[in-house]
Amino acid sequence: MSNALKNVKVAPNSATLAEARHRVFDFFKTACRSLPTVMHIYNLDDVTSISELRSTVASEIRKNSHVTNPKVIDMLLFKAFEELKNVVDMAKQRHHIIGQYVVGKQGLVQDRATKDQGISPFLKNFYNSNYS
Amino acid sequence: MALRAAILRHVRLPLQTAPKLHHNQPHPCLASFRFMSSHDDHITKEQVTDRVLAVIRDYPKVDPSKVTPNVHFEKDLGLDSLDTVEIVMALEEEFKLEIPDKEAVRIDSCNLAIEYISNHPMAS
Repeated sequence: MSNALKNVKVAPNSATLAEARHRVFDFFKTACRSLPTVMHIYNLDDVTSISELRSTVASEIRKNSHVTNPKVIDMLLFKAFEELKNVVDMAKQRHHIIGQYVVGKQGLVQDRATKDQGISPFLKNFYNSNYS
Repeated sequence: MALRAAILRHVRLPLQTAPKLHHNQPHPCLASFRFMSSHDDHITKEQVTDRVLAVIRDYPKVDPSKVTPNVHFEKDLGLDSLDTVEIVMALEEEFKLEIPDKEAVRIDSCNLAIEYISNHPMAS
């Protein structure tokens, strides 16, 4: 794997906010480039797609976009790289990935497997409410 | 590859000067001499444009009706820099490329993306 050298990226302190921002974009690109591997090893093809995972990673980064202290950004990047390494090394399991990164704000896994495309709208809305 | 090497080792052609040709219209019997070459097999600019526009339209934060080949990601579509990086990564995935950082920073708008990808020899 060409992106397997994540343990090399230990954080020296960023001098300026611009340098920290640059490292955030580098992290995002590394994460995006390892997404095909993640999809393959956890068999996520019927649950999500690479573009959805990419959007999830971007929204996690955006949650911390208000931070201005470069040292805090370094700490967040350190945790982010650690998380990415755990995911790529398969130290996590499929249900962790689905629960943390796929089942998003809507609270339910969207049905994407071919076997579920024929089911009725009643069943699809069953978890939402009895009366829709 | 082994078949090609085997053929090249064993087939002998008589020595003769090749006739002058206009390079856009290969002589019909000489075209087969390079049937294993991928020299002319580049993706066309219309295909690049269509696929780039499709990728940008599929991006959830983008309004598909505003996407034109000249659109600027931050000024016209109202995206921020993280969204721009995400679109560039989506294009990398679509065309199976790996764009180095110095070039990726420059890609700010749709026509720059189309131009970069059309000029890249490995775009597929």
